[in-house]
Amino acid sequence: MSAHKKIDWFPYMLLVPASLITLIIVAWPLAETIRLSFTDASMSPETQYVGFENYQKMFSRRFPEVIARTFYWMMLSVTFKIVVGIIGAVLLNAAVPGRTLARLLIMPPWIVPIAVGVFIWGWMYNGQFGMISGLGQRLGLLAGPFEFLAYRNSAFMSTIITDVWIGTPLVTIYLLAAMQGVPRDLYEAAWTDGASRMYRFRRITLPLIMPSIATMSLLSAIWTFNSFDIIWILTEGGPRNATTTMIIDTYKTAISRFRYGEGSARAVMIVIFLALFSGFYFLMIQKLSKRGDIK
Amino acid sequence: MKKYTVTLGAALMATTAGVSAANAEDMHMIMCGDDTTPGIAVQADLISEWEAANPNYDVVVEFVPWGQCQEKSMTLAAAGNPAALAYLGSRTLKQLAQNDLIVPVNLTEEEAATYAAPILGTVTWNDQQWGLPRAFSSKALWYNRGLFEEAGLDPETPPTTWEELLTAAKAITENTEAAGYGLAAASFDNTMHQFMTVIYSNGGEVINSDGEIVFNSENNVQALQFVADIVEYAEPGPVAYDRGKLETLFAEQQIGMLIDGHWLTGRVAEDVNMDVVPFPAGPMGASSSLLITDSLAIFNGSGMEDAALSLAKMLTNPANQMSFDIAEGYTPIRTGPEVDALIAGDATWSPFIDVIPAGGPEPFVTDYVAMQDILNEAIQGVVLGEVDAAEAVEYAAEELESVK
Repeated sequence: MSAHKKIDWFPYMLLVPASLITLIIVAWPLAETIRLSFTDASMSPETQYVGFENYQKMFSRRFPEVIARTFYWMMLSVTFKIVVGIIGAVLLNAAVPGRTLARLLIMPPWIVPIAVGVFIWGWMYNGQFGMISGLGQRLGLLAGPFEFLAYRNSAFMSTIITDVWIGTPLVTIYLLAAMQGVPRDLYEAAWTDGASRMYRFRRITLPLIMPSIATMSLLSAIWTFNSFDIIWILTEGGPRNATTTMIIDTYKTAISRFRYGEGSARAVMIVIFLALFSGFYFLMIQKLSKRGDIK
Repeated sequence: MKKYTVTLGAALMATTAGVSAANAEDMHMIMCGDDTTPGIAVQADLISEWEAANPNYDVVVEFVPWGQCQEKSMTLAAAGNPAALAYLGSRTLKQLAQNDLIVPVNLTEEEAATYAAPILGTVTWNDQQWGLPRAFSSKALWYNRGLFEEAGLDPETPPTTWEELLTAAKAITENTEAAGYGLAAASFDNTMHQFMTVIYSNGGEVINSDGEIVFNSENNVQALQFVADIVEYAEPGPVAYDRGKLETLFAEQQIGMLIDGHWLTGRVAEDVNMDVVPFPAGPMGASSSLLITDSLAIFNGSGMEDAALSLAKMLTNPANQMSFDIAEGYTPIRTGPEVDALIAGDATWSPFIDVIPAGGPEPFVTDYVAMQDILNEAIQGVVLGEVDAAEAVEYAAEELESVK
């Protein structure tokens, strides 16, 4: 009897096209970015290897401040998205008339092309013609026209609000789906025992959708970390760099200033941070699968 | 038989023409904007004329929106796949020349003499010209005569000094519903452009002819202090405003004065009673303006540099350039009888043309985007009251050393 086991190559052959495409569109640009980050690549046709100089230069200037700002921006934005998303999901999950229509109406911020949505917000933030400033003045909250994008703090918060507006529908729909997976008999039993709405939410809904909240928080953090178009259209990173996040700083360095080497070093830092997030995400998924929260 | 011979001859000629056309090499030319403006039709006729005289080339003009145009030309060149020629802001020429991406345009003395010296200065580096000026603008101070009257000011005696300008802006702010002055302070190129006119009107400079950064001067501290002083009489939140948004405010009669180009006439309704004067002089200087040119640059490595240069020179020769300028409504690059006729027909051209000899170019540096960011940050710093003018100028001067 032969111990020789015949290898079935067919499944591996099927993986070849996808692997090749992944190599070409992901691995090669990534490897090239890492290589460029160790060079002085610029507009000049001549490029030299400079070791870790780009990384040293990056950290000797104000990049640490940019990193801190990016995390602060991301954490505020994700927190708002999750909180508003939970509230929205609870409301959409309630057995009230018009629920289907409400579920449809929550989607436009996510469906409208981002650039269009952000331009609309840009006009709303305008002091002279904008709706928000006008409303503030009519309600007596503002003494005169207020330019939301003209001051560091208000510009910072304005970009976050726009990001939350765009990102919340997806969070809401995701959490709504999680809520609908909670067994109805748990609520019925609690209701029979006289548990209030808030009690049922706190002791049944929240614990059971917690894995979904954690998953969504991480995914949202990854998307928000890389959010470029919203900030670029509204403020281009200003005023005085108040909204310059890592991705904006990378674009300005690599594309606007043609410092490809320095820009690549910044891009590598973004990859490292996102790899950490992703690693954490997969660990969490693994842990939840073992616990049986994800099947 | 004769019929067959004629048919055969015609077929042969058609084939030859087809082969000849197929042999014509594509010459890639990048233009900024769209192909709907009147000057583009003039240019298209001239290109056809040039193609007829140079049958080996077929000029393929690509129109790229302003926002991406410059970046596209420069990135293609840096990637080793340059266009033959492209329309670019002249401020990029030094950076391109230093990286050996463009070739000098070798103006003869006769050709150079057709340009005013300050205009030639916008394309000159290391004693060589690196682009052929294609579009030109200077700036002046537009003011709303109606708002002047409403504020108790005499519209016949507009401000000639910064002090008078501040007084007028204060009067408009206090006595009308409008703000006195339109101040651009957004993170955008025309914020720096507006400020450069202020700097030049006080005898200041960013970089001198020897390539040294001379930004840290009393002239420039005063210029930035002027910006800080006028904030009180400007539209609320200047950091949110670039020139385009200010033009809207001016058209809506919500600001009394604005530094802008001649194109403003076409953007304001006729019932707005406005006038224009040279930008007032600062305490240490004389009335001046930033002079901006856009140029046709010839890229190195396209393999058709000489032909591209010949096309660019043909498009920008005095007669053809004047037709283009007049059709587009641009400030004419050269003087001539057409310019006299222009001023005679519309006196508002006068401040824009008279200021040319006193004007200054966009600073020629190796990293103009960084320079723009540095100057804009200094402006935003004083506008937001976060730094004083002297401090902002000193810091900016240090930063500018890395981009010269």
